[in-house]
Amino acid sequence: MTGTYAIVNATITTAPGNTLEGATILVKNGLVENIGSDIKLPPDAQIIEGDSLFIYPGFIDGASGIGISKPADPERPANFDPSNPPDELAGITPWRNALDYYDKNNSQITDWRKVGFTIAQIVPEGGMLPGKSAIVTYGGKESSNVLANNTALNARLRNVGGGRGMYPGTQLGIIAKFRDLYKNAELSAQHNRLFASNAGLARPEMNKTLEAFFPVLDKNIPILFEVSNDLETKRATSLQREHGFRLILMGVTDVKYSIEAIKGTNAQVLIGFRLPNDKTASADLEGKTDEMRGRTIRIKEAYQEILEGPALLEKAGIPFGFTTMGGRSSEMFKNIRLMIDNGLSENAALAALTINNANILGIQKFAGTLEKGKLANMVISTAPLFSSEAQIQHVMADGYLFDFDISKKSSSNGSNGKTIDIAGVWDYTSDTPAGSSNGTMEIKKEGDTFKGTITYDNPTGSGKASSEMNNITLSGNNLSFTFNVSAGGMSLEVTVAGDVSELDFRGNMSLSDFGSFPLNANKKPNQRNQ
Amino acid sequence: MIAQAQTPKGSVLIKNATVLTVTNGNLEETDVLVENGIIKRIGKNLNAANIEVIDATGKYLMPGIIDAHSHVALDAVNEATAPITSEVRMADVVNPYDIGLYRALAGGVTISHAMHGSANAIGGQNITLKHRYGSYNPEDLYMKEAPRTIKFALGENPTRVHGRGNGIQPRTRMGVDAVIRNGFNEALQYKKAWADYQAASKQRGANPVPPKYDSRLETLADILDGKIIIHCHSYRADEIYALINTCREFGIDNIVFSHVNEGFKVAPELAQYTMGASVFADWWAYKFEVYYSTAYNAAILMENGVITSINSDSGELIRHLYHEAGKAQRYGELDDEQTLALITINPAKQLGIADKVGSIEEGKQADLVIFEGHPLSVYAIPQMTFVDGVKYFDINEDPDDMRLKVSASEALEPIFLKEHEHRCMHGVDFFFTNFGRSLFNHSH
Repeated sequence: MTGTYAIVNATITTAPGNTLEGATILVKNGLVENIGSDIKLPPDAQIIEGDSLFIYPGFIDGASGIGISKPADPERPANFDPSNPPDELAGITPWRNALDYYDKNNSQITDWRKVGFTIAQIVPEGGMLPGKSAIVTYGGKESSNVLANNTALNARLRNVGGGRGMYPGTQLGIIAKFRDLYKNAELSAQHNRLFASNAGLARPEMNKTLEAFFPVLDKNIPILFEVSNDLETKRATSLQREHGFRLILMGVTDVKYSIEAIKGTNAQVLIGFRLPNDKTASADLEGKTDEMRGRTIRIKEAYQEILEGPALLEKAGIPFGFTTMGGRSSEMFKNIRLMIDNGLSENAALAALTINNANILGIQKFAGTLEKGKLANMVISTAPLFSSEAQIQHVMADGYLFDFDISKKSSSNGSNGKTIDIAGVWDYTSDTPAGSSNGTMEIKKEGDTFKGTITYDNPTGSGKASSEMNNITLSGNNLSFTFNVSAGGMSLEVTVAGDVSELDFRGNMSLSDFGSFPLNANKKPNQRNQ
Repeated sequence: MIAQAQTPKGSVLIKNATVLTVTNGNLEETDVLVENGIIKRIGKNLNAANIEVIDATGKYLMPGIIDAHSHVALDAVNEATAPITSEVRMADVVNPYDIGLYRALAGGVTISHAMHGSANAIGGQNITLKHRYGSYNPEDLYMKEAPRTIKFALGENPTRVHGRGNGIQPRTRMGVDAVIRNGFNEALQYKKAWADYQAASKQRGANPVPPKYDSRLETLADILDGKIIIHCHSYRADEIYALINTCREFGIDNIVFSHVNEGFKVAPELAQYTMGASVFADWWAYKFEVYYSTAYNAAILMENGVITSINSDSGELIRHLYHEAGKAQRYGELDDEQTLALITINPAKQLGIADKVGSIEEGKQADLVIFEGHPLSVYAIPQMTFVDGVKYFDINEDPDDMRLKVSASEALEPIFLKEHEHRCMHGVDFFFTNFGRSLFNHSH
């Protein structure tokens, strides 16, 4: 964090829409000392030639799960009543702090720093109210790297319990419980105020769940609401209208269907940059029946709508920030370029990575743009940031300069010959609006093929059952397999298929008669020289 | 009067139909003029400028069909994790993209009562939906003028889900009644605690501490105060009789029984103490509690003065409720008007909306269906369906793909090879473990 650097004669974009050619940036002790084309350099400054370099403000991640581990499942008491479980078991832990589950040395941070991220708001894992987020910087090893604590209260419309019948289980119960907690938090705060200024009153009952809401009631911090489709967006904005809290919508999708709902509130928006695969890219419409052609065209149009989503937000004048949740660092720039090809302006894309997130996180005073006195967080690229040949050569975060090897462009997703190693143990979750279920998949490589077993909630009782995974097929980054579930004398075949990478799987589980549900999995790190 | 209308309202002139008003007899070769979603005039030789005119010569016009028991357009049906979940609201999970809404419109149904499932003794608050298919906004489907209703359930379902599945009360029919009574009694205590607090707040210089807020007990208190109509899933005469007595004890008049297969055994009591019964035409024997049934149920109830309706509890049956009603003519010989009442004015009464819909009268909302053939004829086919005077279904303008939203990430959407029967138990199976919940959408 000490040290003086000067990058000379570079193309510096200090903020979206403001680019200086042949300029110099002078950094001292992690802060921007000066920017301009003709600035005086102190004698101890380390000079870096910037002739072929393009400099941008360091990226800010609106919501991140990187480095975050899942809290251990607490033990169930002997008198556990699933209709009235203790808050901690029921996914209601708004007092938890993301920092307590954050490993700043997690290797994934390196991956994301490599694509330009310097600051992130980390979000805890858990149930419907997993806890509060914090803001960290991706700096050097000596510092705790914490910028701010308890910056937002996180909420989502899914709960823990793996569907073991614990209240609240479905979105119905979760939304009702949220209302009850909020109302009781308001009453609890009221009681505290009365007690503080009056004698002769019963003392307030301290309840850490309700107290965790107090900074939200005061509008000091927002609720960061994770949403996974437009109906959830509408449910979150509905709750916001009822209660009046500050709202950040995290993971907005289906923009075309959500946009009216978002316009009607002051909600801030975070969108992921993960895009679905173009399933109909190679579809041949010629030989199809009228019906199939019609259906294929609609899928094409739906895919197109998703690509145009960010542009639609920009056109509507709704500023948004990017979140890395659900995305892969290897595909970030490719996907942002797709969004730009479909109408998003480069300025809006850069804003979503920088100043918009600084505003949403409330750190615009010292981050988000390159200005004298602000943090010297920068992304230094070999070409204009969103061009296809751009590579990130340096990132400065919290005053530390990180250099990256750009001699060769690395392949991504195993699509250039490198086979993805799917062997190992995976934790999966499958979601329906009526609840989620989870389990593990264990895959072993045997010669040329794979074998595996999958566990799932036992349909005919408690605990887990397991089945063999059949027909495990890995083709490029597509993984598919089937397994059978026996229950009540019936045997059902379940098909799972989706996109896989080294560490995660995103796909669907389907059964012929019953439909298709999302199934996402994360690979547990292989136990090797950890 | 502030015009709150943000949902579409239409104007149309339907000419020369046989108008089955349901409440005022049948009118031959009559016109119906709709302006801004309201039936303005019913008469002969009507004229209007600047609105669409539909020639309904030779066709029948009846009120939009109302389904008093449905689970269409809901993302979740059962919060089956506690025996009383009065705090949950089905309005929170409405899914306006459900193609079932369009299929219902094609079957002439304009209003459905989207209900919580029957897993709990006291379930969630239902929502009366108008089938304004095409909106992305769930709130556009709410019938905002409809009174609040709530789902109760007796018998095998709650005892299986909670007693057998989780080892918590109720495990027997007496347990179900006990759960309901205990809920009501707790609600009375809650009401008193808050009333005491409000009274204490009014005293000068007092600083009372507010009691805990509990939306579950607050909703139960609202039921006791007559603000919410109970719709209770039930089959057996003994449990129906018992709940009627419990309601009388707590001063509850606003209760409708649903399914009620043994209703014919307690018809006089249903007539005297309840807002009616909503039954199936001829569905029984899928569970032990549903064995003692008869296809004459609807007719017997009707003849004994019970406000009777026929419902679907199914995304498939909702498409031909007019045929279901017709069965009550075959079994019980109800006349045309009584039979049509089963799917129009009677369910409207049970939902508390009979002053707004359910018959063709001047001043009522223009929920209308044009039929080819008399609706009770086996050959009947709905031609056009209107909600608030807006045409949402026209058999001659019926594209193959009426989905509002298509997923980009599936190559081919799954086709349901068999539609499941009534979805009252949707989401709750095999003691409601969640994997089972996703997989096995068996119901009843």
